[in-house]
Amino acid sequence: MPIVFTIDPADARPIYVQIMDEVRRGLAVGTLAPDEPLPSVRQLAAELRINPNTVQQAWRELEREGLIYVRRGQGTFVARTARPDRERTIISRQVAERALRDAFRHGLSRAELITELEQIEPAETDITDQTEKTDTKGAD
Amino acid sequence: MSSPIPVNIDTDNPAVITSGLRKYYRRNRALEKLDLTVPEGAVYLLVGPNGSGKTTTMKILLDLVRPGEGSAKVFGFSPIADGPLVRAQIGYVPEGRIPGYEWMRIDHLLAHHAVYYPAWDEAYARSLITVLEIDLKKKFQKLSKGESRRVQLVMALAHRPPLLLLDEPMDGLDPVVRDRVIELLAAHLAETPTTVLASTHHIQELEKLADHLGVIRAGTLLAQSDTTTLHTRLKRYRIEAAADWTAPESLTDAIVRRNGSGPELALDIWGEEATVTSALAGSGSTVRQVSALALEETAVSLLAGQEKP
Repeated sequence: MPIVFTIDPADARPIYVQIMDEVRRGLAVGTLAPDEPLPSVRQLAAELRINPNTVQQAWRELEREGLIYVRRGQGTFVARTARPDRERTIISRQVAERALRDAFRHGLSRAELITELEQIEPAETDITDQTEKTDTKGAD
Repeated sequence: MSSPIPVNIDTDNPAVITSGLRKYYRRNRALEKLDLTVPEGAVYLLVGPNGSGKTTTMKILLDLVRPGEGSAKVFGFSPIADGPLVRAQIGYVPEGRIPGYEWMRIDHLLAHHAVYYPAWDEAYARSLITVLEIDLKKKFQKLSKGESRRVQLVMALAHRPPLLLLDEPMDGLDPVVRDRVIELLAAHLAETPTTVLASTHHIQELEKLADHLGVIRAGTLLAQSDTTTLHTRLKRYRIEAAADWTAPESLTDAIVRRNGSGPELALDIWGEEATVTSALAGSGSTVRQVSALALEETAVSLLAGQEKP
């Protein structure tokens, strides 16, 4: 499998949406390229220990969005029309919304969150380091 | 207003349907008007405390126990009138050990079992035996609880029945084998159209496979629904409210569970998120967080909620 799917049953998003978002992430990060094969329903269901119908639903929705296509008898592939920049925008919106919700839960305002985000030094932790690297790659 | 928690499942194709099942063992109540619906193709988790009637329900579907009142149908057939026909459609992993075959070696036990099922898939059985690391030369009576559970899983799965009844299938299995069993169940469902009714105390392990949940207590279903509805409708609201705050009237029946004594409260509430949030905000509280519940939390919330007077 070209990407490692990670899901969490306690997440507010249904599992099929989480699978869809994992494909978006792969496209945005660049680990999924057009015409790349995606795992079969059986393969991904067994891998994630989830109901095969859930994988089917995710594939169906992604196909409807034009991100993947099914070639009968051969499998499921990333569509050539998939646009990583568009998926990147969707993902950054989701990440921002999650951060805002978390800030509000802690009684913080949007302004306080933004101030703090801007003050974090890129090299402060390994995770931000990696984020920076990916950002540079994405900007190329 | 009455409780908005769903107790009925609408389906045109029920694999299993029971209506008004009642069963007493002498004076001990096992089932009290049980109306269970398992749609065809569903993976239905039946969850509840010990003695709530899960095992009795499965035994009635197999006609191993007869109800005092009410009726059951499996793929449209009555287990009482058409017992052999119904049992041929079912793979059953019972809660305890299989009695009567203690002296048999596992390979002989499986061969004996296979004779009764024309659809027995020997190649599949062999692959399950390998994956589950079953020692065929052992005698059944020498097996530990976990080992006999693994043999029972092979017996239930290898004829690829349209209906699987799994009574605590994870019981006695070590964590690695449990994970392997869930993996092979997921693969099994992808390859074979199957309806599953499973009882379990390990909700967390099976929740990603499940698409329906039934919460049972004292022989009655407190809730029965597809998991998508549960996941979107039952949420935990963390609020801040004044000491004299009372829940808005529109929500009194929808509040399933309440935690905390203020000013912070956590409320599990049934309803559409936007409606609930605005009702809470309109009552003078601040909604800090709305979170979805994992299936286990949902079940615990529904069970615990019923304890309030």
